[in-house]
Amino acid sequence: MITAQQKIEYVASKLGLDTLYQMQGSTGAVYDVDLEQVGQCFTNSSQHQYPTVTNINQNRFEVNEALLIEMIGVYSRNASTQEVDNLQRIYGSDSVVVFDLIIGNKRVLRDTPIFLAGNPTCFASGGYNVSGAAVSTAISGQMIPRNQIYLEGVGILIPPQVEWNIQYKVFNLVTGAQETLLETGEVGFYLFGTKVNLNFNTTL
Amino acid sequence: MAQVGKLNYTDAKLGAPTSGQQTTRIIFNTIENPGTTSSLEFFKSFQGLTPGQTNLAASKLDSMESMVIKEILLLQLSSAGASNFFGGSVQQTLDVVIGNQTVVKDLPIQFNSNTTGQAFDRLHFNGGFPTDEAATPTSTFQVVGPVSIRLLTDIVLPPQVNFYVRINSNAGVYGTGAVVCALSGYGKIFSAGASF
Repeated sequence: MITAQQKIEYVASKLGLDTLYQMQGSTGAVYDVDLEQVGQCFTNSSQHQYPTVTNINQNRFEVNEALLIEMIGVYSRNASTQEVDNLQRIYGSDSVVVFDLIIGNKRVLRDTPIFLAGNPTCFASGGYNVSGAAVSTAISGQMIPRNQIYLEGVGILIPPQVEWNIQYKVFNLVTGAQETLLETGEVGFYLFGTKVNLNFNTTL
Repeated sequence: MAQVGKLNYTDAKLGAPTSGQQTTRIIFNTIENPGTTSSLEFFKSFQGLTPGQTNLAASKLDSMESMVIKEILLLQLSSAGASNFFGGSVQQTLDVVIGNQTVVKDLPIQFNSNTTGQAFDRLHFNGGFPTDEAATPTSTFQVVGPVSIRLLTDIVLPPQVNFYVRINSNAGVYGTGAVVCALSGYGKIFSAGASF
């Protein structure tokens, strides 16, 4: 079993990125919201506001920065209030987000579902409940499922200087129909994992 | 042996291709209006299902694809979209059949259900959080989560071999909405290493 750091170094060596191992290893996450409601995330991140919508200014990392994706999560964002929320509370338990992750010209995750009722895949199905007198009765006793998947194996590396994006659709599992994307529930994605940050070892 | 190693080992034993994009793979299948039955079989019928109800077209993987099953999800939805107890939370068992072999046999499923869960594997346990079961669940007011089972032995689903998942019960009540089964794990998807 190789570690996340070992996988980053292995892929980097295959790609000829000889100095990536000298950079600062870290933990990181990138996120973006499909404001345009076109079924794509990260594609238009350069036009999105930081940090309420995204934390990147283009959908590729600069030289000697990389992210080994270990978890992918979905969430919703309300266009008018800019508040983020659990996607299940917008589209319902009967919905599923089916997405592809594309890095460069390669589709590295294909037709991958995230069930809004709580997803399969390792450790992620728990969820928690909100109950008690301290909260409004409207959400008392409600389960808020986790909408995320952990990547098996070690994860998938987004190398430096390579564009990536996510293409997704939201479906209703019972009827099979594709859901209309809502302004009250703009879909956002988190890519979370081991990050490599650019770090110069020489004085500039 | 970790799942990456087991997938490569089994593929090599079977003579399956070892190239391709290694990734996380989740396959799923939906049965609409399952009703009351003692035997529920997933991944057997794909007729009329949309890409939001299944991501396979046949009950086998393509020739260049294979995967390790690490986790099984079972979800029951009412016709109004509310998440319900799978099979009414009575005890049921699960079989996974690959080719002519039953690779998971009579595995009880309720040990890892959301609210009645008595998980034996504490690392991977699935909630068991109490929710307001007296409330009427709706699509956006969820009180019951899916059944989620983490397998302790990696099961390899080789290319081009038929498989299905069977739920055994005593006339289990699955309702008029839909039931979903998803198999999740590490797998390979076709990706040509050469230019066409």
